[in-house]
Amino acid sequence: MSVIIALAGNPNCGKTTLFNEITGSRQHVGNWPGVTVEKKEGVYKKDKEVLIMDLPGTYSLSPYSAEEIVARDYIVKEKPDAVINIVDGTSIERNLYLTVQIMETRIPMVVAMNMMDEVESRGDAIDCNRLSQILGVPVVPIVARTGKGMKELMEAAVSVAKSGKKPEKPDIFGRELADAIQAVADVLGEGESDENNWKAIKLAENDEIIGETVPSDKKGAVKTLVDAANKVSGGDAEARIADERYQYIGKLVKECVKKSGRGHVETKSDKLDKILTNRILALPIFAGIMYLLFACTFSENFLFVPELPSPGVWLAGIVEEAWGFAAESLIGAVEAAGASEWAVGLVSSCLDGIGAVFGFLPLVLVLFLLMSFLEDSGYMARVAFVMDRIFRHFGLSGRSFIPMLMGFGCSVPALMASRTLESDKDRKITMMITPFMSCGAKLPIYAMFAATLFADSNQTMIVFSIYMLGIVVAVLSALILNKFAFKSETSNFIMELPQYRIPTLKSVAIHAWEKVKGFAVKAGTVIFASTVLIWFLSNFNFSGMCHMEDSLLAAIGNGIKWIFAPLGFADWRASVGVVTGWIAKENIVATFGQLFGNVSEETVEAVMAGEEALPAIKEVFSKASAYAYMAFNLLCMPCFAAVGAMKREYGSWKWTLRAVGFQMVTAYVVALLVNIVGSMVF
Amino acid sequence: MPLAMAIEGETRTITDFKGQEELKRHLQDLGFIKGERVRVVGENASGMILMVKGVKVALNRGLAHKIIVAD
Repeated sequence: MSVIIALAGNPNCGKTTLFNEITGSRQHVGNWPGVTVEKKEGVYKKDKEVLIMDLPGTYSLSPYSAEEIVARDYIVKEKPDAVINIVDGTSIERNLYLTVQIMETRIPMVVAMNMMDEVESRGDAIDCNRLSQILGVPVVPIVARTGKGMKELMEAAVSVAKSGKKPEKPDIFGRELADAIQAVADVLGEGESDENNWKAIKLAENDEIIGETVPSDKKGAVKTLVDAANKVSGGDAEARIADERYQYIGKLVKECVKKSGRGHVETKSDKLDKILTNRILALPIFAGIMYLLFACTFSENFLFVPELPSPGVWLAGIVEEAWGFAAESLIGAVEAAGASEWAVGLVSSCLDGIGAVFGFLPLVLVLFLLMSFLEDSGYMARVAFVMDRIFRHFGLSGRSFIPMLMGFGCSVPALMASRTLESDKDRKITMMITPFMSCGAKLPIYAMFAATLFADSNQTMIVFSIYMLGIVVAVLSALILNKFAFKSETSNFIMELPQYRIPTLKSVAIHAWEKVKGFAVKAGTVIFASTVLIWFLSNFNFSGMCHMEDSLLAAIGNGIKWIFAPLGFADWRASVGVVTGWIAKENIVATFGQLFGNVSEETVEAVMAGEEALPAIKEVFSKASAYAYMAFNLLCMPCFAAVGAMKREYGSWKWTLRAVGFQMVTAYVVALLVNIVGSMVF
Repeated sequence: MPLAMAIEGETRTITDFKGQEELKRHLQDLGFIKGERVRVVGENASGMILMVKGVKVALNRGLAHKIIVAD
């Protein structure tokens, strides 16, 4: 018979490490239905009949965030066979707050006392046997990072799950409060019921979600009794309940925890924080770390050594080469098999499309390995805090900084990083504006125009100004969206700063792999489908295969070019460029190369690097309209891979389309302004 | 006085909260309850870092103004 065991615990208590340790690599990551809260399931590596469900990290079972609602709904409604509650032994008092709340639901449970090695090295001691006696549930000391105590923990959990032994009703509240709560429970239903007892506590805590579940004929009676509970609590039952829970925990700690008696000792973490969150040093240090992160991922001249590729670029080169070789052999085989010209064309453009994804997969992997390292080490929490001051001016929280910064590399991982944002509003806005950060694939477009139309001006400044334009538009968008679309107050910033820890290689690797895998699968399918579509449109018309000038795509370009007339580029080739840019932004240059004079592949590469001009585009573009075209492609819908990532992170097409719509309108308005102002200036 | 007025190294006792219920509840969950002693362990432009129930918590200055403390 299979059993389901759920893992619950505070953020940073080592829950993910424990989950990885128990399940090995056999895990499945998804989202909880309706919310973008990560859902992880796995199987105990030593017994396939034991399913492990990783609940989101929460501080309590009160409904403050989507995570907490998910966790408590799962415990109360889905009722797993047992809960393993992970407690960080180094901050036992605060962690036990969740423990007593889980006990209040009376679900069969086991406490995993984690970080016992750190507790010992501090000279403290936790008497797990005594704690187990008082709480009436097994308490198993473990060290999740090393796997110590894992076998004992799982034996205890499986045995509790199979026997279904409920913990005793914890004796937390004082007489007055307990009686008042009991009175509420009695109104909800006759006889002793765990569910009603738990609901009664929540009602006394003024929990709105539970309040709505009270049948209407009982609402009046419940209200009277909750008022009475408030009265015996000195006006605020909720505060009193919290207070009595902490008092109960205080007694537990006094009984079971032996402090070294050294008082407060400054730990290594404290010393590091003195520097890393320092009023003056914090920002420069952070800038340095970010520089290194990006250099490791994207730099062609790593650590200022000319021509030395960074680990990311080096890896990408190898993958690209391997893919190129594989693709060539495959095309050769298709040709040898006597396939028709169009079939060969289709195969080769599909391979190119997939190759584009594979090409930057190594970059994503390296970026995520490093980001995961910073995240797991505890540093990212400090970064969010330090950046909060600046981002507050734009109506966002400091946590939005990381995704936006990553946007300069590639929007896809950047959008995925927005997942760490706590506030739903911040996350939605951040995802809308992250693609405004000019990604690496957009650079060739600027290079082409700069070399061709701005050859007489400072080309670097032209390119730089486009990057700045993206930042300014992002900031303005955040302000406007905050004011008109979301209308909610700037969220408060409150965040635990976990102790610095050197992450284990295993956890960093798993963390990064989860993200890369999702990216490869989802983005790969979107890219693949769109490549096939565009290939078809650019090579066919209704009478069959044809040149691009006569293709359906050209017809579409001619059909939509009027839209761009106010922006200064009412040309079918420019319009087609916008469309092919959605497959991958650097495609625009290749498309232009093909449509404006059929230049060779080498020339296209030289144009991309800004080394060569493409004189034919001068016939269509003026300086003003060229700048407008760059601005439009910077701001309009990102490539399909990024849209795929958006869909995945928003969890709905509705929000994805809203975001894309917002980006399109913004692009149009800004390009229009650029064209008008530019026509006057140039 | 508001907690925001406390300076690094000082320890204060929480006496009251201002602001919404929801926020108060979250503060409670993190160990900020009336009568609790909190120590200011760091300060910068974003806000302050506090030690509460043996855990380090960072909060912005606006929020620190909503927590009332006494000596």
